Amino acid sequence: MRDRLEGLLTSAREEVRRAADAAQVETLRVRYLGRKGELAQVLGGMGKLSPEDRRSVGEVANRVKAELEALLAGAVRAVEEAALQAELAGPPLDVTLPGRQQPSGHRHLVSRTLEDVIRSFQRLGFDVFTGPEVELDALNFEALNIPADHPARDMQDTFYVDAPWSKAPADQVLLRTHTSPGQIRAMRSRPPPLRIVVPGKAYRVDSDATHTPMFHQIEGLLVDRGITFADLKGTLTAFVTSFFGADRKTRFRPSYFQFTEPSAEMDVSCGTCAGKGCRVCKFTGWLEILGCGMVHPNVLTAGGYDASQLTGFAWGMGVERIAMLRHGLDDIRSLFENDIRFLEQF
Amino acid sequence: MKVSRNWLLDLLATLPPADALARQLTFAGLEVEAVEFPGARLAGVVVARIIAADPHPDASKLSVTQVDSGAGQLQIVCGAKNFQVGDLVPLATVDAVLPDGTKIARATLRGVDSEGMLCSARELGLADDAAGLLLLPANLTPGTPLAEALGLDDAVLEMNVTPNRGDALSHLGVAREVSVLTGQALRQKAPEVPETSEDVHAAARVRVEDAVGCRRFAARVVEGITIGPSPEWLVRRLQACGVRSINNVVDITNYVMLELGQPLHAFDLDRLSGAQIVVRRARAGERLTTLDGKDRALFAEDLVVCDAERPKALAGTFGGAESEVSQGTRRVLLEGANWDPVTVRRMARRHQLHTEASHRFERGVDVAAGPAGVDRAAALMAELAGGAVRRGRIDVYPAPAAATVVRLETGQVSRLLGAAVAESEVARILSALGFVAEMQQSGATLWRVPSWRVDVSLPEDLVEEVARIRGYDTVPATLPALTESLKPEPLAVEVERRVRNALAGAGFDEVVNYSFVDPVLLPQVTERPLEELGTPVEAVTLKNPLSPQQSVMRTSLFASLLPNLAHNVRQGQESVRLYELGRVYLRDPEGGVGLRPVAREPVRVGGLLWGRRLPRGWTGGEAVNDFYDAKGAVEAVLRALGAPTPSARLIRRAPYHPRASASLVSGETVLGTVGELHPAVARALELPKGVQLFELDLEALVRVADVVPRLRALNRFPAVLRDLAVVVPETERAEDIRAVIQEVGGPLVEEVLVFDVYVGKPLPPGRKNLAFALRYRAPDRTLKDDEVQAAHAHIVEEVNRRLGAELRT
Ligand SMILES: [Zn+2]
Repeated sequence: MRDRLEGLLTSAREEVRRAADAAQVETLRVRYLGRKGELAQVLGGMGKLSPEDRRSVGEVANRVKAELEALLAGAVRAVEEAALQAELAGPPLDVTLPGRQQPSGHRHLVSRTLEDVIRSFQRLGFDVFTGPEVELDALNFEALNIPADHPARDMQDTFYVDAPWSKAPADQVLLRTHTSPGQIRAMRSRPPPLRIVVPGKAYRVDSDATHTPMFHQIEGLLVDRGITFADLKGTLTAFVTSFFGADRKTRFRPSYFQFTEPSAEMDVSCGTCAGKGCRVCKFTGWLEILGCGMVHPNVLTAGGYDASQLTGFAWGMGVERIAMLRHGLDDIRSLFENDIRFLEQF
Repeated sequence: MKVSRNWLLDLLATLPPADALARQLTFAGLEVEAVEFPGARLAGVVVARIIAADPHPDASKLSVTQVDSGAGQLQIVCGAKNFQVGDLVPLATVDAVLPDGTKIARATLRGVDSEGMLCSARELGLADDAAGLLLLPANLTPGTPLAEALGLDDAVLEMNVTPNRGDALSHLGVAREVSVLTGQALRQKAPEVPETSEDVHAAARVRVEDAVGCRRFAARVVEGITIGPSPEWLVRRLQACGVRSINNVVDITNYVMLELGQPLHAFDLDRLSGAQIVVRRARAGERLTTLDGKDRALFAEDLVVCDAERPKALAGTFGGAESEVSQGTRRVLLEGANWDPVTVRRMARRHQLHTEASHRFERGVDVAAGPAGVDRAAALMAELAGGAVRRGRIDVYPAPAAATVVRLETGQVSRLLGAAVAESEVARILSALGFVAEMQQSGATLWRVPSWRVDVSLPEDLVEEVARIRGYDTVPATLPALTESLKPEPLAVEVERRVRNALAGAGFDEVVNYSFVDPVLLPQVTERPLEELGTPVEAVTLKNPLSPQQSVMRTSLFASLLPNLAHNVRQGQESVRLYELGRVYLRDPEGGVGLRPVAREPVRVGGLLWGRRLPRGWTGGEAVNDFYDAKGAVEAVLRALGAPTPSARLIRRAPYHPRASASLVSGETVLGTVGELHPAVARALELPKGVQLFELDLEALVRVADVVPRLRALNRFPAVLRDLAVVVPETERAEDIRAVIQEVGGPLVEEVLVFDVYVGKPLPPGRKNLAFALRYRAPDRTLKDDEVQAAHAHIVEEVNRRLGAELRT
């Protein structure tokens, strides 16, 4: 019996050496160590042995079993290692193939720019206020101190709306030429102090490389006691720092708007040339960004505010122009063509 | 408006260089857009005297001249013949570049050296005359730069004058500003008019019948005039300002307008019937042929300058042809009137005219300038057209305007600007600008506004005057205190943000379109019962669109998205996912009263899917976008908003395919619609088939959004999964079956998912197999196997019973 056990070990060593893969090793394990395996069969005859023999043969059997187990475990490690080496040695992927497609959409340049501008003013404590685009002459012009037959109306060629359904006077309905009627609506619906921005679409009869008949504006209005022109300068300069960056400078030039007095244009130093002069800034070093001014007392009154107690400032800027300057566009019309090849760049 | 620097020097002793001047004016509110140097193109061209001329030995058409260039004698070969020895002519010296780009170089012409070129007027870009050399006045000195000799050494400021500053639409007006900015007095002298002894009132009469339209009418009469060309200096000044020379009389009226800002009109007095002027509104049926040769029917509101019989000019706007100054004109009546801005503006608009005169009157002309204007013009006509000026001046001024007085409080300038400005400085600046301190009151000064500043009427206007002259850069920058509490951001803003992010994540490119669209689109794309497809739509319509294709306001975002698809398909795109977040415009019968807007302008989220689900790629399949992609995008949006999945109901509404479209409802809230574009619409709009669309109402999304959801506690007990497959008629709706499962299963069924839909063999036609995955879980214990078994069996039985389904396992 002792010899049979030793023989088992010898033949197992031989067969394990020849085993090529995990399956063959498993087969050998079952054959030698399984419940009905060869070791079990040999040990099945133990019962016939004398107690002394049983003890000595038992010692041998335990040793053989342990060796068989170690042998097979080693064989498993060996084939696994071989398999790992084989896998690592195989042909590599073509890593130059593009990755698997994932859906990816893009924000429109105008809405993205508008949101960025709004965020900058929100950080300065401004609230978003919106008004209608189909507007009344009374709010778009009259309340903003632009009476009929005033030459200032030449600056804003107007689309008029045929509104037979409405209760408004026939010649009164138009597409707002600026977001400024929002100022009046805000004042008439909220008590002072007021700190709002009015983003949205506006319309003028105009179409060329720098004008589209529809465009986006963002308007701002701050009214309180004791608001000064210095506050206007400080607030808009803070916006420029927040939106364009701390390296950009501002300057204010006198200008004219019916709804502000004094009025100003704000320029920002050109970011392309750092103010040295280039094609973008027409070699002036400055970019015209927005119009602004102290709210005209007639406008405060039209909004139902007490112009003897309150002052304020307002500004308005074109969103497309900002987007074009930021991203190097030279034809505004490309913004509304909505060509996917354009949209996917931003 | 163009302003000549040389001309300004008539009115001011000294001026800064052109660029500095432009900067100073711009920062005082008179924007200079550009500075031109008309003499720049004559660089290198000088006055030269011909001192000898001999025939060319080898070319009969050429002469060999010796010229005094001022810097020595030069030999020039020349082809012209129109000169004599001693004449002064322009010499383009070596290295000069002529306006046509020719660069002058030393040359040898048929063996004779030539060191420059003698030029014709055309070669110098000065006139069309190419017949011979430009012969220059004999009083010039050789060597003088030609630009200087011709008075072209000028700088012309191209000014953009804002509508409030009518007073700056003249050299006098600009000079006034410069005098304040540079701290020097204006050199303005009243013209000395040489008058005859004959009284003007004997030669002409003026009657103003409409004192609203005509505030003032000043006139002079000049007789014995010889019409002819204007002198060079006058022509050049007009040219610098972009005005073409006509004849001496017309040129003088234009010159005085450019100088003083007062538009003038010269009538041929002999062609004024009754030698009189009547200012009145036009009468029914009256016509006038204007200087442009147009015969115009007049409107009753038109203000006309008439003779005894009929209209001769549109007041302040355009002259008439009949009384035009012509070659035979001997006697002229000069009009220097002041017309009402609104009257002129309306008239100019009605007749679609915009003239130098109407431009100025619309903005307001100094009511004091009329008399000065006719005086200046009369003096010039005496000097330049041989005219004899009658004694005196007609001046009809029915209601002399009272000067505007503005009360400025002490400290008001500093308070509004937020900058410390001394009262003495306020007074100094305002006085320099022509304002007169009339009276000191306690704590205030009354300032009389000069007659030319029609734009100033409020203290804020005076603050601006002080601020712009001091310079806006002298005002500090401060931040106003936040005196109100910050308000929470409106929910709609956050909802918009999430919608955009969700759609970007789902592969949608955002588009922004014009709000006005082609009216032919609306009957096709407006959402309404399918039966109404193609019938007219009541939309918000523009009266004056840029084009018929941009004449109605969109009633659906599809009116924008579908043309976007057409464009991109034309560009060869195979996979299109677009969305727009914007307004549509709907009539509101109650609108336009008070603050209620004229139209309803709801914000919508519109989406369009077409073509490949994903762009072409080696890993992608050929799958194309279908209804469920569109619905999936909407579901993604709602998930991003924390809103429950909406229920969908099949609809029969335009512009959708009746077999593949649904309304989406969340509780009581109708969110919008989703579906495939109706094939007939696709055909009508020449679009490809299989376009998937959705349109959601932003306000509805705001209502169902839950942007700050509360935690639902996680159930820690194990779940048991069971599948359930049923074969049902194809018309049976998954949601109904799901609802039965959910209802029968009760709270033990945590989730029911459709995981497979199958149609085809071996199923009989008209049937489909739906497979559901059910997850069982109890909130308070571990479910036992037989418990789940029983519940599942009950569901199977009920589904079978209620829906007549065949079970498959
Ligand atoms: Zn630049």
